[in-house]
Amino acid sequence: METKGLVRALRKRLAQGCSLSGAVKRSRDQISVESTCLAALVLSRQRGLELDRAVQVLLSFQNRDGSWPAFARDEPEGCWTTAMATLALMAAGRESAALASGIRWLVDARGREANWFWRWKLRTVDRSVQFDPAKYGWSWIEGTTSWVIPTAFSVIALRQIHRRGINQTAAVIERIDRGIQMLLDRMCPGGGWNAGNGVAFGVPYSPYIDATAIALLALAGHEREPGVQWSLAWLVKRLPGCPSPYSLAWGILALAAYRGVNREVETTLERTTNELVALVERDAGGDDVGTVAVCALALDAAAGDNVFEVRA
Amino acid sequence: MIELDRRRALISTAGLAVGGMATAKLLPEEMLLRDRRPARSRVAIVSAAAYSEGLAESLTRALRMFELSVRGKSVLLKPNFVEFIAGVEVNTNPVLVGAAAEAFRHLGARNVVVAEGPGHQRDTYLVLAESGLEAQLRGQKLAFVDLNRDELIKVVTRANYTGLDHLWLPRAVLESDFVVSMPKIKTHHWAGVTLSMKNMFGIVPGTKYGWPKNVLHWKGIHRSILDICATAPIHFVIADGVVAMEGNGPLHGTHRNLGKIVLADDPVAADFVCAQLMGLNPSLVWHLDRASHFLGNGSPGRIDLIAEQLPRHVVPFDVLPEFAHLRLRS
Repeated sequence: METKGLVRALRKRLAQGCSLSGAVKRSRDQISVESTCLAALVLSRQRGLELDRAVQVLLSFQNRDGSWPAFARDEPEGCWTTAMATLALMAAGRESAALASGIRWLVDARGREANWFWRWKLRTVDRSVQFDPAKYGWSWIEGTTSWVIPTAFSVIALRQIHRRGINQTAAVIERIDRGIQMLLDRMCPGGGWNAGNGVAFGVPYSPYIDATAIALLALAGHEREPGVQWSLAWLVKRLPGCPSPYSLAWGILALAAYRGVNREVETTLERTTNELVALVERDAGGDDVGTVAVCALALDAAAGDNVFEVRA
Repeated sequence: MIELDRRRALISTAGLAVGGMATAKLLPEEMLLRDRRPARSRVAIVSAAAYSEGLAESLTRALRMFELSVRGKSVLLKPNFVEFIAGVEVNTNPVLVGAAAEAFRHLGARNVVVAEGPGHQRDTYLVLAESGLEAQLRGQKLAFVDLNRDELIKVVTRANYTGLDHLWLPRAVLESDFVVSMPKIKTHHWAGVTLSMKNMFGIVPGTKYGWPKNVLHWKGIHRSILDICATAPIHFVIADGVVAMEGNGPLHGTHRNLGKIVLADDPVAADFVCAQLMGLNPSLVWHLDRASHFLGNGSPGRIDLIAEQLPRHVVPFDVLPEFAHLRLRS
């Protein structure tokens, strides 16, 4: 099947997965805000009734303080999915009060190490994990430290918010800058990102494909940073042959954002896109909503339409 | 829950009656919990030199010694799959997982599924594919449940070491008739050891708690282990010590050819015996010591070793300096 046809088929699968309420799920999966956001991002490329329903359910999940929970029926405390939800609302063209309150929450949210006490403790007493706590980002859930993926998605969301002129305040710019500093600080020695820290107990951690790809998406435009160059080189080397469509798709999304940087990126993008098409056609390891959605977004990005683009 | 509240109220009232300053809040948590320890626990240490095809038969033989009632039941195997690191035995060996599935099918289980929710790695399928578990699942036609993304049920905690009054846990775990914790026997840089109880961290869903399940780290690993294991069912243990890990576990340690599989009908007893096989003192591991007061048996007098005995001489596992006190004299 040609790529466009495959993307249409994936979109159809996601649209069919929409329940009457609009939430997207596989039979026994939790209705997660993350999956619904990813599906909404896919459906936003070809607007229709399914997108309207997905946006409606997303809005119905929003907490009073502007944040989003992790899943349907979750407690009303905000979490990292708020960044995903703002991305989905922007892609769907819903620049509403709901989006504004989500942005406010996102600008105020910060990892636990942003507090002076924890910063002091992590600098003096607790040295098993090495990082600069002054460079903080966003956590998975409130009351915990910053991690790579929540920070990267928050930076992507805020950079898009800034680029679109939705909010260009000093606070937004400050959080983007600090988030970028946090990502560069937590990089693994030699490039790439693990879940959080690059080094713990004196041991360098190995990068993960998805964390590296999402961090690179957040850092697009910073190609002159040596850390970005090393991480891109790591991804180019690691991605081909990846057996999992989920990681492969995130890798493609990142490579597509760095298209034109060098020839290796171009050839790896082409090769891995072919590999993803083959995996999707074989239906290998990817029947959950999140994976199907990321695959569709990756194939769109390879064709020139990257929903996570942050450059001006 | 009613019993717990009654006990808490009784002890609190007694404390007030004698005019003491201690309130129920100041008492060790396990004094307030119902004693759920079985009268006796059974543990089988079984030698296994390698991950070979004969494992299924060995496991079936060992399981028969427990006279388990699994016929017609749904069995959930919860191995420890963290991430794949080439050349390092980080995870429960897939061959052992396959052998356990085969053994439970021999014993008449209606359905066997494998379930796990890796702590750091969000791409569960990548861990399965690269570790070899995916091939094992396919070969045996075994279903897999990603516990990070399964449907969640809010459950009141049955202990209160973390202060969390409830946990969101996967439906697959809560609805299975027979849950088997299948840890890799390893040292752990935060908890000292990671055995059948620590392995249950993997049932806590990333969807709710993140990758890693950072809120539980902030509440304290030992405390979180106790609340999870007091709340979620663990009916049996099959611990992988054929190739174990010492030093800077759970990811960057070194191999230790222990050559043992440990089976048990009580996770606390299993972990006490595993720690002793590692040459470590289980009573000095905080969560094991606390658990042995209310959740399962740690005392040798209440543990029946129904297969092999503990070796007379054990060379203690290498540990990080902060855990040197755990090492028993060889």
